[in-house]
Amino acid sequence: MAKVKAMTQEWMDAYKAAIVADPEYKTVAKDWEGSVSLIVNPDPSKGVPETIYLFQDYWHGDVGEFVVCDKAKAESAKFVMTGDYARWKQVALKELDATKALLQGKLKMKGDLPYVVRNIKVVNKVIDILGRVDTQWPDEA
Amino acid sequence: MPRGYAGKFLQVHLSEGTWSDFKVDEAVLRDFLGGSSLAAKIFFDRYPLDADPLSGQNPLMIMTGPMVASGFPGTSRFSICAKAPQTGIWGESACGGTFGPELKRAGYDGIVVDGIAKSPVTLSIVEGKVELLDASSLWGKDVYETTDILRQEDSKLKVLAIGQAGENLVKIAAIGNDKGHFSGRTGLGAVMGSKRLKAIVVRGSAKLDKFDEEAYKAAFKAAIAEVKESALADGLHLMGSDANMDLGMVNGDVPIKNWTVGQDFELSSNLSGPTMREKYLTKEHACANCPVACKRVVKVDDGPFKTEEGPGPEYETCGTFGTMLMNPDLAAVIKANELCNRYGMDTISCGSAIALAMELYEKGDLTKDDLDGLDLTWGNMEAVMPLIRKIAHREGFGDILAEGSLKAARKIGKGAEDLVVHVKGLEAPMHDPRGFHGMGLAYMMSNRGACHLQHAVLATEQGMASWPELFDMKDDYQGTTSEGKAMLVFNSENYGILGNSLSICHYLVDILKPETILNAFNAITGFNLTKDELLQTGMRDWTLKRGINNLLGITKKDDALPKKLLTALEDGGAAGSVPDVELLRTEYYAIRGLDERGYPVPEKLTELGLNDLKNRLYA
Repeated sequence: MAKVKAMTQEWMDAYKAAIVADPEYKTVAKDWEGSVSLIVNPDPSKGVPETIYLFQDYWHGDVGEFVVCDKAKAESAKFVMTGDYARWKQVALKELDATKALLQGKLKMKGDLPYVVRNIKVVNKVIDILGRVDTQWPDEA
Repeated sequence: MPRGYAGKFLQVHLSEGTWSDFKVDEAVLRDFLGGSSLAAKIFFDRYPLDADPLSGQNPLMIMTGPMVASGFPGTSRFSICAKAPQTGIWGESACGGTFGPELKRAGYDGIVVDGIAKSPVTLSIVEGKVELLDASSLWGKDVYETTDILRQEDSKLKVLAIGQAGENLVKIAAIGNDKGHFSGRTGLGAVMGSKRLKAIVVRGSAKLDKFDEEAYKAAFKAAIAEVKESALADGLHLMGSDANMDLGMVNGDVPIKNWTVGQDFELSSNLSGPTMREKYLTKEHACANCPVACKRVVKVDDGPFKTEEGPGPEYETCGTFGTMLMNPDLAAVIKANELCNRYGMDTISCGSAIALAMELYEKGDLTKDDLDGLDLTWGNMEAVMPLIRKIAHREGFGDILAEGSLKAARKIGKGAEDLVVHVKGLEAPMHDPRGFHGMGLAYMMSNRGACHLQHAVLATEQGMASWPELFDMKDDYQGTTSEGKAMLVFNSENYGILGNSLSICHYLVDILKPETILNAFNAITGFNLTKDELLQTGMRDWTLKRGINNLLGITKKDDALPKKLLTALEDGGAAGSVPDVELLRTEYYAIRGLDERGYPVPEKLTELGLNDLKNRLYA
């Protein structure tokens, strides 16, 4: 299967499909409520010339809208996470734990932090699944 | 005298009922800064190391640091130090709250108390005036009552007090500051009790000059901005230290059922920081000069574990009285915390000792008859509450646990010693080295026994903080590997130890940039230390305390982990993993400059200016 270009709609579709196909996700995320957006800061030297906004909707084990979006939609999510491209790539490749990235200030989050901590298993699960999406990263093109 | 210091220390001889001021040379202050580091220097220079911890010859030292009372974030702290009753080696325990800054404003950088009073006394230091007051009427009262009574006539007094545990020479007794802040570890409350020193009260209004006010203001402004930007600070404010419960359960950090079970998400969900916030939190609380406010104020409204509004449990307490005992009821943890606070006992050691008793009860090695009729089935918190009281009063079986887990296990026999998780006699805190091998090494090498606060390993290995400007660091350390951890631990000790000598909260050490702390320190004191000189101060601190412990009999064989931590768990984030003790110790010894016996090598002692220690170690 061909690699999917990172942070494109095709990539978001593949990510969503991987989550839906995961046999454990529905159980692990049965209590999760709310959308998450990922904001990728531009880094022209890495092939990311502009800010990228990604919106993901999760609800009690189901997966809703997964789209590349504009700034306003991204900022409407219940949880908004922002970071540099290189950090997001490290997280996706599991070279950097997302919780540690957050605590070290390498990623920023707006939203209910205790809710995320309480549901840390869900967060780890979707990141784990992301690692399975065969990705073409822009700085490796 | 450099700026930032009050300029004098108070020496109290309780046996004679006398006191006097003394000064410390600037060169010594520069080398040891303050806090437990300076206390170790005073102890080494002035007192017989071989004295019984509960004798008059063992000093109780209460020390602040040069940044305390400056107003800089996190500088509320002070260290209480002595030869420890629980372990028989160097003992220290830092504390937040309000006492440290108030002591300095009252005129003193620290207090050194020796001797034994003829009858219970309170040491009073108000605006520089020192008195020893009769405390006979306070003897027998708990920490909360004592604090309230002492404040009846002067509500601005800051109080340091022991409860019944300290009076009864319980080896896990703590010392409480203003009810909600405790010097818990190594049993220093028993040292205070042995001196019949019920309390110390302080009040003062002196303003301490800074060397460079403008540079200080810039560092202060930077610190506030860093706190505002910090997710760790945000998490601590919202969830307290118990934010670690959910995260730790995923990554194998949380000990369960006296260190025998790897994972239990039902327990962590019921005992977590978010749960405390939702169900029991009435407000957040801050130590002096702290913008984070990680302390919890809680109340249990009804049920068998009803409490008044008061200080809430830290993560460590939610571990020892929660997951360790298989207790899913956070209300019961809050009640146990309140009892330990009132009696003045360390919640880590007390909960761990009870967990040991529960495991022995399950195995049939202890019976109801042994336990004064108590049913110590896992999770039976109705039996835990009276047992806490018994320990504090040394009643029945409580008298055995009052010695701490290791000595209790030796007295019980039947192989109980193998069930105790300790290093050098101090029960391990609630961070499992099987999930984080660096923490295992840190436990092995900490100078007060198994400890999570004499270094910054928790922060660096678990990724809460990263200081690439100080030393080579990865973004993400894997917990369950021993490779490369010796260097991580060495560096994290040298930097983290400054929390104790500068008397800054470890959380602020994690949150703030090293440059910001260094700039503030230099602006306050005028010492103008470089980053490397500051790290060398951390090395000197560690090495002096190590040398003291060597002189007290500590050798390489004591730098070890107990059997349980070398037995792999079957499930959870640490499943199948145990620290490689030999690799960790061998690499660490080479980096730290320890010889085959575990003594600092002479060249290292010379490099650090510890020639007196060299002479005594190599006499």
